Amino acid sequence: MAVEQHGGSEEDGGFLSESQKERIRAFAKKFRSNTKAMVGLVIVLSLIFVAVFAPFIAPYEMNDTSVEDRTQAPSVEHPFGTDDLGRDIFSRVVLGSRISLYVGFGAISGALLVGAVVGVVSGYAGGLTDEIIMRVMDAAMAFPPVLLALTLLVVLGPELVNVIIALAFVYTPYIARVSRSAALAERNEAYVESAVARGESDTRIVFSEVFPNCMAPILVQGSLNVSFAILAEASLSFLGLGAQPPRPSWGLMINTGRGFMETAPWMLLFPALAIGIAVVGFNMLGDGLRDVLDPKVEAIE
Amino acid sequence: MYNYVLRRVGFMAVTLFLVTLIAFAVTNILPGNVALVILGPNATEESLAALQAQLGLNRPLYVQYFDWVLGLLQGEMGQSLRFGEPVSALIAERLPRSLLLAVSATLIAVALSIPLGVYAAVNQNEAPDVAASMFAFIGISMPIFLWGLVFILVFAVWFNIFPTGGYTSPTESLLGSLKRLVLPAGAMGFALTAYIMRMTRSSMLEVLSAEYIKLARAKGMSQRVVVLRHALKNAVIPVITVIAFQFSYAFGGVVVLEEVFFWPGIGRLTLTAIQSRDIPLIQGCIIVVALIYMISNFAADLLYAYFDPRIRYGGDE
Repeated sequence: MAVEQHGGSEEDGGFLSESQKERIRAFAKKFRSNTKAMVGLVIVLSLIFVAVFAPFIAPYEMNDTSVEDRTQAPSVEHPFGTDDLGRDIFSRVVLGSRISLYVGFGAISGALLVGAVVGVVSGYAGGLTDEIIMRVMDAAMAFPPVLLALTLLVVLGPELVNVIIALAFVYTPYIARVSRSAALAERNEAYVESAVARGESDTRIVFSEVFPNCMAPILVQGSLNVSFAILAEASLSFLGLGAQPPRPSWGLMINTGRGFMETAPWMLLFPALAIGIAVVGFNMLGDGLRDVLDPKVEAIE
Repeated sequence: MYNYVLRRVGFMAVTLFLVTLIAFAVTNILPGNVALVILGPNATEESLAALQAQLGLNRPLYVQYFDWVLGLLQGEMGQSLRFGEPVSALIAERLPRSLLLAVSATLIAVALSIPLGVYAAVNQNEAPDVAASMFAFIGISMPIFLWGLVFILVFAVWFNIFPTGGYTSPTESLLGSLKRLVLPAGAMGFALTAYIMRMTRSSMLEVLSAEYIKLARAKGMSQRVVVLRHALKNAVIPVITVIAFQFSYAFGGVVVLEEVFFWPGIGRLTLTAIQSRDIPLIQGCIIVVALIYMISNFAADLLYAYFDPRIRYGGDE
């Protein structure tokens, strides 16, 4: 497969992979020297670690209720305190990371899959196809994101899988728009002209040549959108239309904690802190990636 | 510029048409149509069929859609099932309250962020700049509803300075109305501050390195005069665009924020409509919110084009 894709002579293939290696090394070096990107990466990796090993990290079962332990302040046994049903908040926050990441990555993977293809094809095709696709995307972006997700959830029903579907739908146009402008810029590059001159099909040019060159801005947008999706899931669950009890969604925990603001503020504070850290992590990673990958910044320097 | 505006208005009309299609489609594939909502789950087949015929729900979908759009054009959005009032009247009552909230939030954000941004730019890479950008980062990284809850916790529960929520009409009591506005508008404004501050900072940095600023400095003008009279005037132009975008963001955010503060605006109306499956009300709310969101984004685009004559629509064409 790989041999077939590279085609050409042996030397050609060797040269390409060497230059790619060089580019990856340069990228890694720039990435390491960018504090924001590194801090973001560390936070995101820690979150993934916590989510993967959540059952081993959480000291209690997330749904273990206990009447005598209701709304206890943080202590050695319960570092984040307990909620109104006597459940350990630390355990629930730890397990809640799974929901946030599941929704964040799930929704954005869906949006990336559809949005990147639609956007790149639209930008490369141009003309009427582009016009029609972009107008439809405009219409989807004319709704405030949370409102659109809410409306879709009414149709789909309040379930976590549906939250992912709804948010994938909401963020697709944002990815598509970025992919389109990347493809527009690539369309006039010499390598596309020479591919056309070689008589390659449009499908091949779009997917094996233009597409890989649009990856940088698409990935930046993707990682920033993961943080939006995490925020949106929290908002939807807070409104009662996302994850349903007894799932340990951070947004849902905040919704419950709201009623105990005076007597047990820790019910609200710790899940809130968790959301903040997750969002800061993805934002920093996205911002850092933009600094590292953005060719415009490089040109100025 | 004139052509640009015309094209944009044309596109907006197309977008608006697509928006009505989406709103209609989404609410018409809802499980259980209007008749079922009115009669409840125990209704008989016959009574359902009779009511559907009476409401015109047995007509083909495109006829219903056409009818609905014609009504929309005349400001007629049907009767709310839950409230038994015309949807347009309900929206007319709630919408100004939401706008009041979004406008106040934007004003608070502007008042906070421009001085902060200027201060950060003047002290580039020093402690105040780092502190300001951290502040901005934290502002962006928390959902608006969380800021709302934090504000309630601190200012209403712990210090008891402001009420936890609710709404008082300004005509009823101006002071009471202001008191209830401070927390929700403050929370939203705080969340918006970050973007405007970042923009002010980078715009100021760009202007401060310009030749004419160096000249002004060389002429011996004080830092204060250079920064406030010469630099800020030009730096504020791109910031205005961001402010317009932030307003639409604020308006989009009220859906959640109003729920936090029990603010009876269009956001809570939408939520109530959704929870009670009040289809005509859902449709009306969606259309109105999308329309305002679109108009403010459009205004931001126009401002952007107005201030940057290099913009040619379509980019590379």
